[in-house]
Amino acid sequence: MNPSPRSFSRIVDRPEFTLMIVLIVEVIFFSVMGRNFNTAENLANLVRHSAEIGLLALVLLPIILTGGIDLSVGSLLGLCAVLFGVFTHDWKLATPLAACLTLGVGAMAGGFNGYLITALRLPPLIVTLGTFSLFRGLAEVITRGTKTYGNFSPEFVALGRDKMLGLPVQGWIFIVVALVVGLIVHRSTFGRSFRAIGFAPEGARYAGLPVLQRVAFTYVLAGVVVAVAALILTARLRQARADAGMGYELQAITAVVLGGASIFGGIGTVGGTVLGVACVAVLTTGLKLIPAVALQGIGSELGSLLTGVMLILALALGSILKSLAVRRARDQSVTSTQPHPIL
Amino acid sequence: MRGQYFREISLGCVFLVLLGVLGIFAPAFFELQPLLSRLTAQTPAVVVVVGMALVMICRQIDISVGAQFGVCAVLAGLVSASGAPLVVVLGASVLAGATMGALNGWLVAGLGLPSIVVTLATMSTWQEALRLFQQGKFVNLPVGVQWFGLSQVQGQIALIGGAVGFVALAAWAMKNLTLGRQIYAVGSDAEAARLAGIHPRWTTIGVFISLGGLTGLAAVMNIVQSPQVDPMAGSGLEMKVTAAAVVGGVAVSGGRGRLWGVFVGLLLLSTVNPALTYLRVDSYWEKAIQGLVILLAVIADRFRRPPKLSQ
Repeated sequence: MNPSPRSFSRIVDRPEFTLMIVLIVEVIFFSVMGRNFNTAENLANLVRHSAEIGLLALVLLPIILTGGIDLSVGSLLGLCAVLFGVFTHDWKLATPLAACLTLGVGAMAGGFNGYLITALRLPPLIVTLGTFSLFRGLAEVITRGTKTYGNFSPEFVALGRDKMLGLPVQGWIFIVVALVVGLIVHRSTFGRSFRAIGFAPEGARYAGLPVLQRVAFTYVLAGVVVAVAALILTARLRQARADAGMGYELQAITAVVLGGASIFGGIGTVGGTVLGVACVAVLTTGLKLIPAVALQGIGSELGSLLTGVMLILALALGSILKSLAVRRARDQSVTSTQPHPIL
Repeated sequence: MRGQYFREISLGCVFLVLLGVLGIFAPAFFELQPLLSRLTAQTPAVVVVVGMALVMICRQIDISVGAQFGVCAVLAGLVSASGAPLVVVLGASVLAGATMGALNGWLVAGLGLPSIVVTLATMSTWQEALRLFQQGKFVNLPVGVQWFGLSQVQGQIALIGGAVGFVALAAWAMKNLTLGRQIYAVGSDAEAARLAGIHPRWTTIGVFISLGGLTGLAAVMNIVQSPQVDPMAGSGLEMKVTAAAVVGGVAVSGGRGRLWGVFVGLLLLSTVNPALTYLRVDSYWEKAIQGLVILLAVIADRFRRPPKLSQ
């Protein structure tokens, strides 16, 4: 079973291959230029700091596969973090019970998005723009804008700092969620329907798929995992505030799109998303280790700037290469190239 | 015909009721000088929201306006601090905005990329480039720039008058000029518009350039209101104007919406916060209420217009 040239070119064409190369180049670059990049401690730090956004990216993938979008994940993260503080401090609940309640809140909030989008057939972009404001607003109402919940139990805080078998706890959580989402999306008929819906909602409906139910599921799943991310973030920072997770939605969407998913739905893989998260994480943590950058304290700005540039380049290059390929194939049906934004 | 202006009329009624409640329970809201200041503070957003409405009617979205606004404001501040006259400052700012808009437009219409992803990427690029360049420092403006060198009240009236006049002009143009109708046509059905002899690509690039240029104009309208330029002045602007456009009746599916409705939508949303203050409700309710207003607006819309059969 020698790989034929054809299957080789199929591998090369995939976005995962490009990302893999980018990742390898990044790692080599930062190993040479950065201080202490190739240390276990740095790897642990990297995992700790990118697990939350990684989790959001993983659950945004099914939503984006169905052709939807969720702008409210960052705000929901803040709301869940604050409510966890309320459950443990104001209601004096035991930590496990409070954590379960928080997951329930996440599921309900995701269900709220899903209900508005499927039962009322409202556009996901607008619904989640509304809940983006609403969830963050509720978090601010609960904390009166200023209150910070601290002093969590040591067992809970360990979630954010301890290691299991050499990997930070949140790394294991990320792996488990990635495996679960991967199994759903790639190894079950249930999850394969997400793509069918993203490609052609009407066709999926005629094929007998319960389209609305499946779409609603993706938002509920996102809500639950966002609550998990809220718990991890609270444990890592050892405090819960209303502004937790601000701006995370855009970083997570960036990682998903870098990972090769199409924002129009139907295209995208869990592996690509994980690689997208890794590329962004290595870039942002690696930059901070370069002495010249660290000296000026501009690591995070430079990281976000380069992430943005990387996203534009990835999109533009992908589009240009595609149109070249189309031209080469002398495909004449290029009339409908007008973009259709997600609705 | 009767139901055609339903959204604008009902929105206007909601706004009047809010003003009525304020008039009864908090007459201090209508004291002239604070009211004038609050209105003036909204004039840049009014200009940007018109541009955003054009983009959304054309079936696209631009979430990089906040970042563009920051870049234009800082640029205008630096040009102004170097001693250039106001016309040059305005020209530089509008040109910078239009250039950034043109980049968005080229990526979206030229390469066929989704506008939300493109503008997400340009948003973080401009924002972080500005942060790197300016490091959060304010730019001090020379004497005579504030209020165009007029007195404060004169300057405020000039800005408010200019903004309202601009909305009126733009609303008229959208209704009566070919250029305006083209945007509606491309937004409702790009392919049909193309067959009718309109260039969807150029129209799309055009609306992005106008939004950028208007953002540059708005940035100048913003910096003349204070002696310093805040590099973070544009943060959150994209969400604010998108929300105002949606509340004002612009459909994200394109081809629908009127600028007057958008104008009232912006007034309504930006009255929420001061109204809370004057009614002695704690101001941290602002975001939650704004979110609810957006959701209620789309839900109300859905019950008036049942969804098309597809999806």
